[in-house]
Amino acid sequence: MIFKLIYPKWSKLPGQTTFNLPPHGPVVFAATIPKEVTVKFTDENVETINFDDPCDFVGISMMLSTQVKRGWEVADTYRKLGKKVIFGGISTMLHAEETMQHSDAVFLGETEGRMEEVFNDFRNNTLKKIYNFMGKHPAIELVGPARRDLYNKDLYNHKGVQMVDLFHASRGCRFSCYPCAVSYLGGRMFRPRPMDKVVEELAAIENNRLFIVDNSLAQNDEWEIQLFKEMIPLKKKWISHTIEDNPKILNLAAQAGAWYVYQAVYDTSDYIKERVQRYHDYGIGVEGTILLGLDNQNEDDIKRLIDFLLKIDLDLAEFTVMTPFPHTKAYDDMLRENRIFDTDWNHYNAGQVVFHPKQMTADKLQELYDYAWKTFYADETQESKMMRLFTKVVLREMEDGTYRSRNRNLVNKSFGKDVSRFKDLKIQ
Amino acid sequence: MKVPEKYYDEIFVFDGQWGQPSACGLKIVDKKENIIVVVTELYQDNPGTSVTSAGFNLAKQICEKKGLDFSKIIYLECTPDTNSVLSFYNEQYFEVTLNKHQQPQYRKVLKEELEKMIL
Repeated sequence: MIFKLIYPKWSKLPGQTTFNLPPHGPVVFAATIPKEVTVKFTDENVETINFDDPCDFVGISMMLSTQVKRGWEVADTYRKLGKKVIFGGISTMLHAEETMQHSDAVFLGETEGRMEEVFNDFRNNTLKKIYNFMGKHPAIELVGPARRDLYNKDLYNHKGVQMVDLFHASRGCRFSCYPCAVSYLGGRMFRPRPMDKVVEELAAIENNRLFIVDNSLAQNDEWEIQLFKEMIPLKKKWISHTIEDNPKILNLAAQAGAWYVYQAVYDTSDYIKERVQRYHDYGIGVEGTILLGLDNQNEDDIKRLIDFLLKIDLDLAEFTVMTPFPHTKAYDDMLRENRIFDTDWNHYNAGQVVFHPKQMTADKLQELYDYAWKTFYADETQESKMMRLFTKVVLREMEDGTYRSRNRNLVNKSFGKDVSRFKDLKIQ
Repeated sequence: MKVPEKYYDEIFVFDGQWGQPSACGLKIVDKKENIIVVVTELYQDNPGTSVTSAGFNLAKQICEKKGLDFSKIIYLECTPDTNSVLSFYNEQYFEVTLNKHQQPQYRKVLKEELEKMIL
């Protein structure tokens, strides 16, 4: 049986450097599919779907709200061709009712140990409209290793430089942050994978550069310490979300190859300034993530925040506008207050204002979002700042003997498309 | 962000969206002419669906378990003050008009009105 697994495309944010990373959800899911099934994977962000390719069953994996409408279109096309379509993934869970209108089945929850049933039902023509495993987490020991063999690796390469591979060492999150749906999706209980399985999977990844996509590594000090100790001999270099603000842990993270972290910058306090400095003290870069349009921010607050960012020596900054994604407190609050004016999911890209902010107009927030990007990168472009971070990791790799030179065969390619090596690239 | 116990008389466990085990704070005030039902979001102590997402289904489950007439209740949703430094975790009350086939309608209830309703 051939199972066609599709990751739908979405429109990238205008004016920003786009890098296509190999998506993690589909290949983690693919690892749970019965072995006798042949999986053929298409990431529509880097290649075109050939609807004529032979297949028996179609799966659509969606992570972002901005993917769902395209995912539904793809499903509608396949269903007109007589194929059965199943949906899964994070944004399927967030948009389940609407997705059910475009599918033969939706899978809600985590798939480990559950796909034999789905494929048996497909074979017996008894596919259920919904496979509901929300809140019923499978044994964490069953997770992985992800089917990275399904990627066409050359499509995740920019001018000879291979993009990072994605990896996760745990699920769930003990935090329940205002704009985030993770606690709804993966539960509030932190569920670390067994360390031996984590190390085994990490060691098997050919790529030396990774993005550890766990919601936050700062979930449990002992676990974090053990994880970093185990990672040191692997000599990987990696990006992650927040690391616990503890000198011992930061030191171990640096030894384990921490390259740079995403750190939320939510105010102009000395704490934030010192937090960024502490990462830098250990040689770890910082990409600030800055959410604009919270109820406690007025125009002056946002401008002050942007000025502050320029003074605290961030390596990179990523600005987003507050977006009320379903199943977040933000969504509930704005729904009750009738502040959501746009429910076109294509606009839920965290760069377009879809709600009425409390202390300014939607247009003003949109203007401030554009101002933030322009101001932060006025003196040095995003690509240039990225190059500086990239140079740092190359130097570290040269020191520990893990550096691999760029793939000369792909220097005139960017994510599968022909480009000139010496010209600036605008990718969509 | 523990929700102070002053907001509820009991923890009400309910089936959330897609059957997820969920919990909210519950206070029922009998005012003779009608029954005031106050559901409070518990944040970290709610493992499943929020009271706002649960909406009509939660109100129905409360009425069934507590033997209340759905048509006679005044249904309030409370987002409690969790003593968070973040301003969006402040106390707010909304009266919710629920209907199985329509989007809920929300009306913010100010403190003076709330006191008249539930004291």
